[in-house]
Amino acid sequence: MSPSPAASAASAPSGLDRLFRSKVFVWIVILIPGLYPAWPLFRQDPTVLADPLKYLLHHFGFVACVLLAAVLALTPLRVLLPKWRPALALNRHRRLIGVSAFFYALIHVGFQFLHEGGWPTFWTDIRKPFLLIGSITFLILLVLAVTSFKFMVRWLGGRKWKNLHRLAYLAAFLAACHQAAARKIFPVQVLWIFVPLALLELGRIIRQNSDRAPAISAPRQG
Amino acid sequence: MRIRTPKGWELRESAVTPESLYRRRDRRDFLKTLGLGAAGALFLRSAARAADGGFPAAVNGAYPGTGLKVTPYELITHYNNFYEFGLDKADPAVNANKGWQPEPWTVEIGGMVRNPGKWDVEDLIKKFGGIEQRVYRHRCVEAWSMVVPWDGFPLSKLVAFADPQPGAKYLKMTSWMDDKLVAGQQADDGLDGRYVEGLRVDEATHELAFIATGIYGKAIPNQNGAPLRLVTPWKYGFKGIKCIGRIEFTDRAPVNTWQKLARDEYGFYANVNPKVDHPRWSQASERVIGGGLFSGRQSTLMFNGYEQQVASLYQGMDLAKNF
Ligand code: HEM
Repeated sequence: MSPSPAASAASAPSGLDRLFRSKVFVWIVILIPGLYPAWPLFRQDPTVLADPLKYLLHHFGFVACVLLAAVLALTPLRVLLPKWRPALALNRHRRLIGVSAFFYALIHVGFQFLHEGGWPTFWTDIRKPFLLIGSITFLILLVLAVTSFKFMVRWLGGRKWKNLHRLAYLAAFLAACHQAAARKIFPVQVLWIFVPLALLELGRIIRQNSDRAPAISAPRQG
Repeated sequence: MRIRTPKGWELRESAVTPESLYRRRDRRDFLKTLGLGAAGALFLRSAARAADGGFPAAVNGAYPGTGLKVTPYELITHYNNFYEFGLDKADPAVNANKGWQPEPWTVEIGGMVRNPGKWDVEDLIKKFGGIEQRVYRHRCVEAWSMVVPWDGFPLSKLVAFADPQPGAKYLKMTSWMDDKLVAGQQADDGLDGRYVEGLRVDEATHELAFIATGIYGKAIPNQNGAPLRLVTPWKYGFKGIKCIGRIEFTDRAPVNTWQKLARDEYGFYANVNPKVDHPRWSQASERVIGGGLFSGRQSTLMFNGYEQQVASLYQGMDLAKNF
């Protein structure tokens, strides 16, 4: 397969490109928000100490949403900026970022369990619509994480796997609904997280449709 | 040893803090205790009290909070729902202290009363015979709770002073902040105008209904609702309107802010009721603020533990409908 025109015209490798390729770098970026709560606890921030479990619950849910939106943003980023090597570099880490979104969601749910003081309240509360939405989101992320192993990809086959992993978009939508309903008043952070993603997706759809149009008369080789 | 019968609002014996109430160590120490999740008891020494604004207040012997574990001052003053000053619980402690000056303060009393007018708060307090301290439980609709030593005066004194006309059935209270000062925050606080709360006149004249002008024997901090804040301990915290600037007596039930914002989630009465859930969470139990990481939950009591005192106000009402 010859290199696609886009790749051959791509910019020369830069420092940013190399940084974004680094697994270590991506791991560090993913782990920092997980370790962050140690800081307000160490500082004895009274607002956090008032109900530390609630704080942790919110924090990890927030990080899970950010990572979920981030991993979904990588594909449109690559499509819209095909020549920008850092975008390509980041796309190598999609599995890691996606699985980390699941793990943050898992910790989030774990803190909800502790915050509810165990099964009885956890169980009665989970029937509330906004928590059911969270649970469906969580189940989707669970399935996607479990099927992210290489052997699972092989076992399912590329097309089936791809279709299954489109559920990530549903997960993002449901996560946004869950987050939007979590507070008494609509929380603007939902918009900061999900509006950029929606715009990128919109851009990707427009781009792919305009790419496809000429492709009918002159099919691209590759 | 004197044997006393525990009052309905008191906690079980295991939650008792040894010694009396107003002991407070230097902030770092007790927060450290909390941070370590230490099994609870905070051994605090007497706090020096501010001597201005009618403080110190005498403890009202009927509400000493015996058996209640008072929430540390730092937590009461840094875990606030006060959307006019920001949506996060940490925001009001910062934003309400950026030059917002609640004193001197006049409160306007109007509507169906025989004694309407605008009154200086300090004058009113003098007319009411000064302030007193009461320790009350505080239960938020978000399923957390505190125990707060309030200073202030019974709302019934203010009602008597206003002298309502026979037709007056309700009080409508309105928050009254300096618009220019908080304009930035108020624009996006989501509250759709000034905060409004209401009570029936018989609720307002109940012995438990209280107007706080202080906590912990000091003037009430801005983020807790300076200079006048309603305290109705048998109701969810959002009834406790802050910065009261206007009290109007009416014959129709006012629509309180949260009812206006979400009618299916928050009602007019907002009585603490473990049997009526919020649409998004159970109200059967609550987390105690300052309990640390591993404290679990405690059961929520009917009318927040004040059932003996207030249940008669709601005789024959369907509390699931009138939530
Ligand atoms: C079984 C599944 C889940 C349960 C039981 C659950 C539970 C909760 C609860 C109780 C809250 C806080 C509500 C409050 O403050 O009163 C919350 C908020 C939140 N959850 Fe979940 N959740 C679940 C799944 C998820 C998933 C999968 C995500 C993200 C991918 C997520 C993201 C969030 C976010 C962002 C918030 C808002 C945090 C904030 O307001 O700061 N949750 N969730």
